[in-house]
Amino acid sequence: MTLVKEAPARPAGQRPAAPAAGRRGRRRENLAGYLFMSPWIAGFLLLTAGPMIASLYYAFTSYNLFTPPQWIGLDNFTTMFQDPRWQKSVEVTLTYVVVATPLKLLLALGVALLLAQKRRGQGLYRAAFYMPSLIGASVSVGFVWRALFSDDAVVDRTQKIFGLDVGGWIGNPDYVIYSLVALSIWQFGAPMVIFLAGLKQVPQELYEAAEVDGAGPLRRFWNITLPMISPVLFFNVLLESIHAFQVFGSAYVVSDTRCGPADATLVYTCYLYQKGFKEAQMGFASAMAWTLVIAVALVTAVLFWSQKKWVHYEEAAK
Amino acid sequence: MQQGRNVERRTILKAAGASLAVAGLGATATACGGGSGSGNGTVTIRYAWWGGEPRTIAIRKTIALFEKKFPKIKVKPEFTDYEAFWEKFQTQASGGNPPDVFQNAVGFLRKYDKRGVLLDLKTQADAGNLSLENFRNGVLANGQVDGKQIAVPVGANTMALVIDLKAFEKAGVEARFGWTWDEYFDALQTIQDKLKIAGDTGYFSIMYLYDLYLRQNGKAFFTDTDLGFTQDELTQWWEDGYKRVRSGLVADPKKVEQVKPKSALSAGLAASEFTWDNFSIRYEGEGESDYGLAPIPTTDGKNTGQYLGSLMLSGFSGTKHPEEVAQFIDFMVHDPGVGEIMGYDRGLLATTEQYEAFKPTDPNNKGVAAYEEEVAAAGVLGRITPHPSGADVIEAAFLRIGGEVAQGKTKPADAAKALFSEAKAAFAG
Amino acid sequence: MTSATSSALPAASERRRRGSIAWHVGAVAVLAVVLYPVIWVVGASFKPSKDIIASLDLLPAKPVWENFSGLADGISGISVSSFFWNSLMYAVLAVAGVVLSSSLTAYAFAKIRFAGRNLLFTLMIGTLLLPYHVLLIPQYVLFRNLGLTDTLVPLVAGRFLATEAFFVFLMVQFMRGLPRELDEAAKLDGCGHLRTYWSVVLPLSRPAIITSAIFTFINAWNDFMGPLIYLNTPEKYTVSLGLMMFRDQEGISDYGSMIAMSLVALVPVIAFFMAFQRHLIDGMATSGLKG
Repeated sequence: MTLVKEAPARPAGQRPAAPAAGRRGRRRENLAGYLFMSPWIAGFLLLTAGPMIASLYYAFTSYNLFTPPQWIGLDNFTTMFQDPRWQKSVEVTLTYVVVATPLKLLLALGVALLLAQKRRGQGLYRAAFYMPSLIGASVSVGFVWRALFSDDAVVDRTQKIFGLDVGGWIGNPDYVIYSLVALSIWQFGAPMVIFLAGLKQVPQELYEAAEVDGAGPLRRFWNITLPMISPVLFFNVLLESIHAFQVFGSAYVVSDTRCGPADATLVYTCYLYQKGFKEAQMGFASAMAWTLVIAVALVTAVLFWSQKKWVHYEEAAK
Repeated sequence: MQQGRNVERRTILKAAGASLAVAGLGATATACGGGSGSGNGTVTIRYAWWGGEPRTIAIRKTIALFEKKFPKIKVKPEFTDYEAFWEKFQTQASGGNPPDVFQNAVGFLRKYDKRGVLLDLKTQADAGNLSLENFRNGVLANGQVDGKQIAVPVGANTMALVIDLKAFEKAGVEARFGWTWDEYFDALQTIQDKLKIAGDTGYFSIMYLYDLYLRQNGKAFFTDTDLGFTQDELTQWWEDGYKRVRSGLVADPKKVEQVKPKSALSAGLAASEFTWDNFSIRYEGEGESDYGLAPIPTTDGKNTGQYLGSLMLSGFSGTKHPEEVAQFIDFMVHDPGVGEIMGYDRGLLATTEQYEAFKPTDPNNKGVAAYEEEVAAAGVLGRITPHPSGADVIEAAFLRIGGEVAQGKTKPADAAKALFSEAKAAFAG
Repeated sequence: MTSATSSALPAASERRRRGSIAWHVGAVAVLAVVLYPVIWVVGASFKPSKDIIASLDLLPAKPVWENFSGLADGISGISVSSFFWNSLMYAVLAVAGVVLSSSLTAYAFAKIRFAGRNLLFTLMIGTLLLPYHVLLIPQYVLFRNLGLTDTLVPLVAGRFLATEAFFVFLMVQFMRGLPRELDEAAKLDGCGHLRTYWSVVLPLSRPAIITSAIFTFINAWNDFMGPLIYLNTPEKYTVSLGLMMFRDQEGISDYGSMIAMSLVALVPVIAFFMAFQRHLIDGMATSGLKG
């Protein structure tokens, strides 16, 4: 991600102005900096770093909230890896991430390419397509989704036209996860807007030159558009997959709070919630949380490592 | 510059002040936590329960009645549905901040007694703040653990079979006392053949029904510390259940799942459903048909395995106002006015004062009364003892794993194994 | 897929016209799918409860008001307006917190050269990628031990302490883009950082602040897990939790009111969106681009 790589390294902000130079000036700048930063620093220590350390500790304890945590070493982790429900939640989450993220981004990119053309009503379409990203996480939409994917509702009727007779997806353990995938894809507007902004920054001359060379639309897309927007593509892939790992509300509401049927929508967070807040196994839940942190860190690392191979920064957004 | 820095510090302080102001806002909001007194001698206690909207509205009326008679005690209500209630309760209790008075049930007594959360009401009764007299049919014992009275029953309920009266009539089948499981399933078969709807909505996932089945065979779901049946027995129970899903005798679990939170019976997916008798009110409101209570099928032609269960009231051991809590519970279980308002929402009223004060006029309450009288008359009522700690987790697991069996996602043998493994962890927790 | 450029080469106007039709057909098709759920919920809330799932039509044959009048009675003795009031309180406090704390933090990152800035910035970006699960339980234990559950404090505290890294980041990006001459001029005029922040940078950062404010408002409005974990008293429930009260498992579920309430709960977000869509979309776009 450009932002991470470049931003801190670049000496933005003003250079110390001449009169304020010297050690005293620097000390004053330091003081001012930390004063301005103090809410963040307090928040970081109290609400981020502290809790992270605490949950790391809990992960090695048995903690039912009533009695103080008891050190049990790696037991939570060994139990977890052998726990069929944990395995199921990993499977459900991976299915969700692996299916929903690419489809959502593909649609977002496709529609962004469509909207990048200057046509009448373009702004209106852009706004309308973006709206689901704002309401998609609400309980309301969860309820609506439950209805739309029931027997004889719109999805069932549509699939029957194509000869797919499986009934509503909500009650079907083999299909219900795809109703969540659909809910995720429906919110393609947010990455679409980012793609659009990226597309706008592609210099027109490149296309003109390519056209002179006789490159067709596909070639132009492949050789110019894609490399030029690869930084935003990377950004979208990173953010969308990290978000997908953390989905909770939709699964909880669409499955009528049980993350079922038959654990079919038992996304990772839902299992963590059940373990922690229903069964009061806070140690186990913390072990789950740390496992997720490591998994997400790995995914992030792999993405960053892979970007060397496919993300082009030179002429991209400055 | 010097000046600038001062201002700067002040802004930071202001920002901090704003955060503190928010914190202060919270502090006033939470001031009632754990119950608190205020200057003029009034005391506030928190009262929490689970249940649907009709119960909540009725309970609110009883609170108003109480506050009128005890102007020095204010009652702050908290309520939600069953599962959310126990989630919240657990986290609140762990923080030493549960409600002062709350609804309770046999599945939770030992768990929270073990954690020291429950007030011994015997002491309060001895101090004269609460009467433990006049309970009907010995239900008072439902709230006793190791010689302590940690909960007091407000009602007495029992499992029942709710049937779609029109469907049963149309199919020409009849539910009768003492019928056997074979007769019951034959009746469902007739319904399925004639009306093309399923007979039942998924009986084999209901822990409390399996408990009755076990009781019919001289066992019970729980012993004092463990499960009271074998893995093989449960495998058999779920195998039979799954067979009946496959044959269509039990409603398609996919459809049952979809109509939630509506019940599958009132959605017309099946002709009968096992549930607690005091829940029967929901069906008339939700469904199109007429519904009635029918007897639980038996193994030997007589014993239904039933017992009178109870919703109860408990107090928090750490409450600042144990006296007021005891007075409140006393009022809620004995006051005739409360009985008139509550009716049989939480089962037949537990004390004679309340039972006699409420004369059911609507068909639903009449049905519940008639049903429990019939069960009592049959002389089949057994006793229930408080479940071991962890029963709540097992109840949820039973429902979930039973659902997996119904969906064909888990083989009955594996399902039984999973339940035993989860139960072991739950008892240990 | 068409390329992003319109052809510069001479092409038959016929071809361009066909392209235009294809474009609009495609856009309308996407629009229909995107808007369907929203139109559905509008239509459904005017249908009699039992027709909502069963009936084929998107819009009711004869609109009825019963679902909304059901809302006017409240649920379980709590008026629906109390949920809205609570959500509003939550959202407004969240906005105040984010705007105040994030802009201060962002100013430090963007405009003050202090030792350790790069390290802190990296840490902040790191929290952007951190799954919140890992904080959930210890934060809960913390607020429980402070006796602050069942209040708005756990929900907004983080916002007052700039833990929403995304908005800090957004504002940093924006403030860096401001012409440096402006704040240098301010400095030469003898303004300290506070004055520069307050009278120069903050006013100029309005677009980023508005974007952050609106996003924060909507996020707080939609927030489900926070209230689910922290709020206990129904009188304090936000709209999200209030909605869940309508899925009554033990009483008689009133599906019509539940759907009507869903619609009402969406209205503020959609209204906000319509009023500020340009800010939102531009803000969103910037987040992915500037480096």
